[in-house]
Amino acid sequence: MQRREFFKTSIVASAAILGTNLSAGTTHQPKIGQTLSKMAFPEKRPMITYSDRPPLLEAPRSVFTRGITENDEFYVRWHLPDIPTYIDLDSYTIKINGLVEKDLNITLKELKNDYEQVEVVAAMQCGGNSRSAFTPITGGIQWGSGAMGCAKWKGVRLSDLLNKAGLKKNAHWIGFNGLEKAAYFKTPNFVRELELTELDDHVIVAYQMNGEDLPYLNGFPIRLVLPGYYSDSWVKMLSDITVTDKYKSLFFMDKAYRIADNKTEGETPDHLASKTKPITHMDVKSVIGYPEENMKIYHNSEVVVRGVAFDDGHGIDKVMVSTDEGKTWDEAILKQENGRYAFTEFRFGYKPTKYGTLKFMAKAINRLGVEQRFAKDIPWNRGGYKYNGIDVITVEVV
Amino acid sequence: MKKIILITALMVGSLFAQVDKPMEVPYIPYKIKMGEGFDTLQANCLMCHSFGYIINQGPQPRLFWDKKVDKMITHFKAPITKEDKKIVVDYLFHNYGNGKLK
Repeated sequence: MQRREFFKTSIVASAAILGTNLSAGTTHQPKIGQTLSKMAFPEKRPMITYSDRPPLLEAPRSVFTRGITENDEFYVRWHLPDIPTYIDLDSYTIKINGLVEKDLNITLKELKNDYEQVEVVAAMQCGGNSRSAFTPITGGIQWGSGAMGCAKWKGVRLSDLLNKAGLKKNAHWIGFNGLEKAAYFKTPNFVRELELTELDDHVIVAYQMNGEDLPYLNGFPIRLVLPGYYSDSWVKMLSDITVTDKYKSLFFMDKAYRIADNKTEGETPDHLASKTKPITHMDVKSVIGYPEENMKIYHNSEVVVRGVAFDDGHGIDKVMVSTDEGKTWDEAILKQENGRYAFTEFRFGYKPTKYGTLKFMAKAINRLGVEQRFAKDIPWNRGGYKYNGIDVITVEVV
Repeated sequence: MKKIILITALMVGSLFAQVDKPMEVPYIPYKIKMGEGFDTLQANCLMCHSFGYIINQGPQPRLFWDKKVDKMITHFKAPITKEDKKIVVDYLFHNYGNGKLK
């Protein structure tokens, strides 16, 4: 009898152990309602602050009721500790070399005067935005939903600069490096490499953001703008553009910002995918900016739910809102004035008639018909990248 | 659909920069737990990044912290000795662990 009891317990115990060890990894709503720091960083308002060195700043959700994110509320993410705190504009240049007919050393003045000036409104998002949606917790900063923003970028087409330099026949890869530096000489630089075929005319070298200088923390004086791409390749304080024929093996390309190279881009903590690929294009996503989590809303009052939606540049077709846990969906009104790479603003009027807990859910659908899934249906991945679950805000009707 | 808008207006060079003196990135005193190994952590980790970067990874298993420190040594070339690595990983797991080994 005792022995049988013992076996029973041990079976239960081993099942429990197996259960935890073989956990599939789950996905849920990301963190919400983090407090703002009391300390403001240069050219910024107080933001959600994860680190001061390197600076890691997240925008509060309330920012995402508007299609353009203000410069002083735009998120910040650097990789290395040493960021130049002063740039002498008279001596600052972008060097273009490698497999080009002639090396260029472009000053800011030349960039502003010798080339066609262009503007593009584009959303920018960290690949790890909303990483806190994944359990087990993956490596990296546990961002809520504010590692994203949308600005009007002004600058010069990368292709115009490359044409001026003249690409050699065997040019195939382009490496981008900025001025951030590590503490140790041997630490790899944060260099990004892109294939020439990925770089269309919408890629610009930008010196202005929303009609102003870029804030230092967003890459003053110049950053690469890659509409539709996650921001890991939007190199800040851009200083070097190097054209090569072969892909150069680099830490930040080979090890960071990669996701499972399979159809679902998912894996489990116990069975990590053997092949990975860079994260590149942004998946369709929406974020509710208002109301805020746990807010009290008056019974029978007219609530206008507001938020933003975007994808990789195919453009947003619809944003649907549900007030019944996703059983039925209604179409939100869209405002799309800034082109297909920009945030689409959505709004949805609703009159709550029942007291108690109410959930607003937002689901964006792009022009390819790709729609957001519920958080639970998004596969876990080890880097905690590309979360784009249906957004949920819970309020109390009083 | 508007793609890229051509700017027709003449460029007027701005005479005044938004920031024309060196800026200062503030120091934030992140509240990190004191405990055995803290001095070694401070000596080895703070050179490159703040405590915020550590504590905002969330509670993690021992293997995670072990691999993180390995990454700092292998990829970021942090000169952390074998002895110090063990002290740092012990500290991280003890103070910022989730109780699981892996």
